[in-house]
Amino acid sequence: MGTQDVQPAIVQFAQLDKLINLCRANSLWPLTFGLACCAIEMMATGASRFDLARFGAEVFRPSPRQADVMIVSGTISRKMAPAVQTLYDQMPEAKWVIAMGNCAISGGPFVFEGQYGIVEGAEKLFPVDVVIPGCPPRPEALIEGILLLEEKITGSRRWPRVEAG
Amino acid sequence: MAQGGGWLIMKREEIRRALKAVSPVSMADAEHPNKGYHLEVTVTPERLVQTVGILDQEGFFIETITGVDWLGEKAALNKEAAAKDAAKAKAAADAGETPTAAADAGPKAQDDDVLEVVYDFNRYDAVCRVVLRVRTPRNKPRVPSISGLYQGALWHERETHDFFGIDFEGHPCLEPLLLPEDADFHPLLKDFNK
Amino acid sequence: MSVFAQNQTGETFVLNLGPQHPATHGVLRVKLVMDGEYIQEAEPILGYAHRMHEKMGENRSWHQFLPNTGRMDYLHALAYNLAYVSLVERAAGIEVPERAEYIRVITTELNRISSHLVWFGAFVLDLGGFSPLLYAFDDREMILDLLESVTGSRLTYCYFRFGGVYNDIDENFEPGARAFIKRMRERMPMYHALVSKNIILMKRLQEVGPVSADMCRKYGATGPVARGSGINFDVRKHEPYSVYPEFDFDIPVYHECDSMARYMVRMDEIEQSLRIIEQALDRLPEGPVMAEKVPKNIKPPKGDCYFAVEAARGSLGMRTVSDGSTTPYRLKLRTPSFSNLILFGEACRGMLLPDALAFMGSLDLVIPEIDR
Repeated sequence: MGTQDVQPAIVQFAQLDKLINLCRANSLWPLTFGLACCAIEMMATGASRFDLARFGAEVFRPSPRQADVMIVSGTISRKMAPAVQTLYDQMPEAKWVIAMGNCAISGGPFVFEGQYGIVEGAEKLFPVDVVIPGCPPRPEALIEGILLLEEKITGSRRWPRVEAG
Repeated sequence: MAQGGGWLIMKREEIRRALKAVSPVSMADAEHPNKGYHLEVTVTPERLVQTVGILDQEGFFIETITGVDWLGEKAALNKEAAAKDAAKAKAAADAGETPTAAADAGPKAQDDDVLEVVYDFNRYDAVCRVVLRVRTPRNKPRVPSISGLYQGALWHERETHDFFGIDFEGHPCLEPLLLPEDADFHPLLKDFNK
Repeated sequence: MSVFAQNQTGETFVLNLGPQHPATHGVLRVKLVMDGEYIQEAEPILGYAHRMHEKMGENRSWHQFLPNTGRMDYLHALAYNLAYVSLVERAAGIEVPERAEYIRVITTELNRISSHLVWFGAFVLDLGGFSPLLYAFDDREMILDLLESVTGSRLTYCYFRFGGVYNDIDENFEPGARAFIKRMRERMPMYHALVSKNIILMKRLQEVGPVSADMCRKYGATGPVARGSGINFDVRKHEPYSVYPEFDFDIPVYHECDSMARYMVRMDEIEQSLRIIEQALDRLPEGPVMAEKVPKNIKPPKGDCYFAVEAARGSLGMRTVSDGSTTPYRLKLRTPSFSNLILFGEACRGMLLPDALAFMGSLDLVIPEIDR
């Protein structure tokens, strides 16, 4: 599993950290990183019916230097793995990774004995914060993933949890 | 735009006559509802470019190029030939005749396993699919490139080279297309174990 | 060629477009040799989304390969479903009941419209217009609701089976589909008035990326790319399959050979698909949706077989070689975007970079389909 060695900041805040985390959580800027089919569901989540803008995350940045969260949506092939690693390294701290879809979690339906072409999950390259299973996951699932990430950043969840049934 | 059956029969005859010039190894009509194509032609690699030139003049477009790995075909054919010889010998012995030399009985066993390159051609004006097959020995697969006639073949041949390792002579740049640049394996060969 | 292109300085630099780029639809990398803003050479580099579908075709049984078909071109997944099941049905000699054929046509044409809507939104987004994407996705959500009620999935469908479809449509499907047709027919004039007749779009697309008919023939381009160059070729009319001969629809063909022509072909195709769906709903017969005697372990006889359908991007072909066992010996997927993209290197010489992106958008590429 990939790890990152990040030095702690020289300037430390105390209670202000909570406010900063609240601001970060409510304006996550995702990186436009659609690899395959899950990218279309990511686009649909940003469109009007599901509207990711309500949660502050609609500003998709093409450049990793301006992005907070990398939503890995799609299969990472072995040829693409160095590029994904470079993009992750180029994102400035604080950064998070959401693995969207079965392929980004563990290779998805393309794992078979003797497979030569894909990396079995984004976890093999760098640390992942939230996983959203599905093939592809529904837009509601992606929104739930963003809310889980907000909970992870701030420590509490502002939105009601949807119960099944 | 589907032309009538009469046009197709006429066109197929025309193509057969034109292709006689390359003395194909085999040429057969195919039933479209069962096979999906109309004419299948097998030629030797030396005649490939000439055949494709004829199809180009007739106005076909290149649909796709692919390969098939016939690993184990030689062993299977040899087994079949041996079984047929044995059956013939047994029948002769049962009938009380002296067994004759078995060299002329059964299918001819081939020298080595082959890789087959399959070219699919089609027309824009009315449907007439022609399938062109070329066989090349598996241990040294070499086929002339048709990218001079059909530029679309540039990528199809690179992909077939990626998957099967077939060397297309005359191709300007036979680098990996779908596999990583430094790939040295050919995944669709039947004995590919990674 | 313009005056600027003629005054070439001779100093070139190499610019890398992709693989992560908002305008390449998927992970496509293009190596550009640029002279200022003009492209001297363009070389697409593929393989970043290679997911080994053809190898999986040899490892999986005939049934187990069905989910793969939805993932190659996820925008028009039902066309791939249709090509694969029809191929195996042709090889094994399985008859499909009429109601199943009609349902297949209705769902495939709905999927075609949703694919064209995604193309429309993403294409205009590449050119700088954000709003049509939201309108197109809103219309598309209506189609996705209909298809989800029948197939269970929103995007990567795996709905067809050998011998029919696995689930019949319910009683809400037909009124929903008719309501959608009515709504789409009201929306298309809006799209044409605001987008197609927009002077900015017209200036950006007219005379950009000329692709002659002979070039299409040499490269094997099919679909809207060929139909925008004056070639009247559509597999549904040319080599009819399923129940398409029973419907009355036209094939839009434009002769200008530029990106505007390819754009207009796809917009007109949406209307033609609506016509097909309407006629199919009118004539939908009763009956079973699955053939009776389909073997559980299907074993097509030895030999090879080919089947072609018209996907949203062009002529999609699948070729299989069977050795009589439960897994295919070889499965070849002829994807339309692959043949359409080979044009890019040749057609881009001397173009401005923004024009090259407009041209790429007009080709309507889906990269996982190219890389398979």
